[in-house]
Amino acid sequence: METSLQQNRESYYLDEALWNKIRNVLLLVAVVGWAASAYGWAADGYNFYGSYLVNFMFWLTIGWGAAFFVAVQHITTAAWSVTVRRIMENVMITLPVMAFLFIPVAVGIPTLYEWAQPGYFDIEHNPNLQFKALFFSAPLYVARVVTYFFVWSALAVVLYQNSVAQDQGPSEEARRNLRWWSAPGVLVLTATVTMASVDWIMSLDPHWYSTIFGIYVFSGGALAFIALVTLVALALRKAGYLRETITIEHYHDLGKWMFALTVWWAYIAFSQYLLIWYADLPEETVFFKHRMEGTWIYLSALLLVGHFIVPFLALLSRAAKRNLAVLGLTAFWILVIHGMDLHWLILPSVHPHNFHIQWLDVTTFLATGGVFGLAFWRRFRRRAMVPAGDVRLPESLAHHNI
Amino acid sequence: MAQKKLYGAVAEFPSPAALLEAARRMREHGYTRMDACTPFPVHGLDQVLGIPHSPLGYIAFLGGAAGFVAAILLQWWTGAVDYPLIIGAKPLFAFEPSIPIIFELTVLFSAFATVGGMLTLNRLPRLHHPLFELDAFRRVTNDRFFLAVEAEDPKFRSDETKALLESLGAKGAALVEEEG
Repeated sequence: METSLQQNRESYYLDEALWNKIRNVLLLVAVVGWAASAYGWAADGYNFYGSYLVNFMFWLTIGWGAAFFVAVQHITTAAWSVTVRRIMENVMITLPVMAFLFIPVAVGIPTLYEWAQPGYFDIEHNPNLQFKALFFSAPLYVARVVTYFFVWSALAVVLYQNSVAQDQGPSEEARRNLRWWSAPGVLVLTATVTMASVDWIMSLDPHWYSTIFGIYVFSGGALAFIALVTLVALALRKAGYLRETITIEHYHDLGKWMFALTVWWAYIAFSQYLLIWYADLPEETVFFKHRMEGTWIYLSALLLVGHFIVPFLALLSRAAKRNLAVLGLTAFWILVIHGMDLHWLILPSVHPHNFHIQWLDVTTFLATGGVFGLAFWRRFRRRAMVPAGDVRLPESLAHHNI
Repeated sequence: MAQKKLYGAVAEFPSPAALLEAARRMREHGYTRMDACTPFPVHGLDQVLGIPHSPLGYIAFLGGAAGFVAAILLQWWTGAVDYPLIIGAKPLFAFEPSIPIIFELTVLFSAFATVGGMLTLNRLPRLHHPLFELDAFRRVTNDRFFLAVEAEDPKFRSDETKALLESLGAKGAALVEEEG
């Protein structure tokens, strides 16, 4: 399987036995997760759907971040990221599988979403609701969901196939395809991501609205995506792989991205909060009111400190971004806090009274994570872990931060 | 006429590789006060010359911290102390609406500190440099690579240093004077 495209001395291919071992672990996680979640669903359907939605969105937002980042690398013809791009692509190509993971959410729509109750939109007495009633009518809703998964899967497959096609040697046609599809792909991706965030999270509280909401969810997903890529690269490094390929210079750049996206998330989160605080309109402030009542205030405070201040200070200095222990720890923390962020967005609308972690949060995390992990890990089998035939690989290997 | 004093010895090299090798050898001989002038950035030159990481980041951070504090004091003092005026039923001072200005002043002050710090650390602006006295130095923006050993270097012995540079593959070496 080794190609003559090898740029340095180490193998770009994973050992089959190691691959099998990890696959078995992921399979076990998925089976245990689904069995426990199925029991939870039978015992407590209402709470199951809330927890499931949080964890479904956790992996989906990471997939969004992947599709966005891979496309941006092609638009900018970036060289620094080539050595980590295959890991990014393997995350991105989980997007088609997310369509199957959406099924439990679809089943839970009548339970989770108030607007799904028959006659919820009282158009006769309130003509203003006409648009919302139409927007959430079954045909339009189904059409949107089908469009989302079609667009995300198509973009992921095109970007993945054209990259893998070059593993046996550079192809000008593949490069042209990647460049051609990336720019419109990003536009369509951001539009559908915004709509999906509205459909699946914002509409949990059908009266509330925030025009920045889609970017808020997207920014958290992009941040968690970079954190996941960093952790996967570090894990491969620990197992002895890609030590000379993903160098300290690439980790430094991943650290810069984590830092930048931490600030971006905070910027979006604060922009949403400030405008609502300043206007002080009841139909807008209700969102934050729910999240400041009872023990939810602790989660809100945790997000301020843990989603912004901690990673900001942790990654501020150059030395920290070049310290793999600090980088790995911060990446892990960012993934935890991204889960907390989605918990904060979704669950105050589902069980409004108190912030608590229930066992269904854990089992649905394992269930969705197991399937996501298998879809991700499948792409590591007998395939190069680096875009070996990419014309920019030598440039990426020589990458050097001033 | 002002008194002249020695600036240092400077040598001319034909390629980045020759410059890097010469700088490495000079370091092995114990020279520490060296500078290099090249037409484009040369990878690894900073490490070979032993130039430490710039403290500019810390200067920028201090500037940013000053802006952060100044913005809070400015808004609190003008809004809640010096001229308290209730606008739109909002508190006289609150962090929520103050954050954009805190952010802006943090960025502004850190930008000032960075530019000012960069100029100070580079000893800029200056109108002349002793190396400009050397005719051969004109090619530094084209195809020549220069290594200078400053007279302040404790190992510096004018003729000995110049001879050493010449022995390291320099196309030519000279002693340069500056206005005292």
